[in-house]
Amino acid sequence: MMVRRTQSSGLARRSAASHLAALLAIARKEWIIFRRYPSWVMAFVIWPLLYPVGYIFSARALGGPHGSGLTVFNRLTGTSDYLSYIVVGSTMYMWLNFTLWDVGLHLRNEQMRGTLESNWLCPVWRISIMLGSSITKMLIGLFVLAVTFVEFRLVFGVSVVRGNPGLIALILLLVSASIYGIGLAFGSLVLRFQEANALVFLVRGLFMGFCGITYPLQILPSWMQGVAAVLPLTYAIHSIRAVTLSGASLAQIAPDLQWLAGFALVLPMLGYLAFAATERRARRTGSLGHY
Amino acid sequence: MTETHLSRRSPRSHLRAVLAIARKDWLHFVRYPLNAVFRVVQPIMFLTPIYFLGRSFATPRGNTGFSAYAGTTDFMSFVLVGALLSNYVSAVFWGMGFSLKTEMDSGVLESNWLLPVPRPLFLIGQTMASLAITTLTGAGVLLLSWLLFGFRITGNLLPAVLVLVPMLVALYGFGFAFAGLVFLLRDANTLVDVSDYLVSLLSGSQFPVQVLPRYLLPVALAIPLTYGYDAVRGYLLGTRTLFPLDAELAILLVSMVLMVGLGYTIFRLVERHCRQLGTIGKH
Repeated sequence: MMVRRTQSSGLARRSAASHLAALLAIARKEWIIFRRYPSWVMAFVIWPLLYPVGYIFSARALGGPHGSGLTVFNRLTGTSDYLSYIVVGSTMYMWLNFTLWDVGLHLRNEQMRGTLESNWLCPVWRISIMLGSSITKMLIGLFVLAVTFVEFRLVFGVSVVRGNPGLIALILLLVSASIYGIGLAFGSLVLRFQEANALVFLVRGLFMGFCGITYPLQILPSWMQGVAAVLPLTYAIHSIRAVTLSGASLAQIAPDLQWLAGFALVLPMLGYLAFAATERRARRTGSLGHY
Repeated sequence: MTETHLSRRSPRSHLRAVLAIARKDWLHFVRYPLNAVFRVVQPIMFLTPIYFLGRSFATPRGNTGFSAYAGTTDFMSFVLVGALLSNYVSAVFWGMGFSLKTEMDSGVLESNWLLPVPRPLFLIGQTMASLAITTLTGAGVLLLSWLLFGFRITGNLLPAVLVLVPMLVALYGFGFAFAGLVFLLRDANTLVDVSDYLVSLLSGSQFPVQVLPRYLLPVALAIPLTYGYDAVRGYLLGTRTLFPLDAELAILLVSMVLMVGLGYTIFRLVERHCRQLGTIGKH
């Protein structure tokens, strides 16, 4: 009787619905924590506008008072709209940056708070701990993208969303799978090495220097172009620029989409494998509580 | 009893206290070598997109569009000088700004403040360490940037260094006031992050301030640091300055006196406020 009652209790009945409920509970918990810190919310509103402004004013200075410097830029990029060009690149980079910090540090933060071990013992898929947080971060990321577009519309009078919005949504969907795959792998590495700052600087430095956030890739030395070719953000930035600035069609950005689809398949799998390895190691060494 | 060391307060004992505080901060710095490496590497990461941005506007004769504003086609040297000076700005905002808060978080502020040492000396000691560390990491950034991007000094080094003195004194004077503010606010990361970025940006760390929109230009001209960036570049790179160099130096000297006075006054007010409320140990 006792056994039967235990089996019918909520936690013991592991089903797709119970896993979904756990996932949503984690997402809700992350949302409540986010709302409790108004300075975090402020940062998400301020930085999308502030971050690209330095590059934009530098580009204005490089163009010269009569736009004489724009000729070379126009020849290389096919547009003299340096403002939209930079905003697309820097916004995508910022999205990746937020995700790396938030998703990548999620497990480590749980560890520092002392809640990781007890959460790990819950009868839920352990990956839910990461995925639940990712749902919230993805919604916040979409909010940041929307804020960026509105702010640039209001402050600079520029509409960054041009061309086919369906294509932009498709690119964002594909690249977000890659970004969260990287975040998952990154979070597992942070937990393994118990050091976050150095890893974040290393990974974001790679994307900042190589993905063409402010410049066309053809001016990079060939070895740097080789590195850029294996980074998903490179293709996302390139294709979104093509759609928004040149009105490119699906066929024209198909090569970029193929790469992005490939990354969207491979990177989440790599992320999952890294997470599974971290889980195995944690079970073997009992190191979850160590920091 | 009267002959004990701490009770004999003299300029010499104060100097020893300042050096001990500076040494303590230096030891903190060298104990985390990875952080030291990142203080050199991080500015290079931030400079890379700017370098290639400059390249994508460059003609075979250099950045000619840029020279119409700045008086030089050497965009990267212009940016590098700005980045080096911004290192000091960041050191003041993050290092000095959080100096009191960090001591409080470590649980040593209360005991330190009970020592027979004038309290502003704590910040002076930290200023000395911060100047030394920032200069050292700045030299590392410059060396690495020279190797990667190229850097050319066409003017005079000595007057540029002399301009740095009032600029840095003013900056660190402001740091005293900012440390008090951060101490009172406690959760001030976003404030510090945004202020650091905005002050550097509006002072023209990356570009000549003439390119700012008309509504932002008065803000840039009201920040003394703008004249520091401008004068140092004028001497080092021979750029076209906003005002004659003598006038910019005079502005820096006046701001030095004002900022040190302001910093000291605010620090004393914060200290009195904390003493009255007894909040030094609370966080």
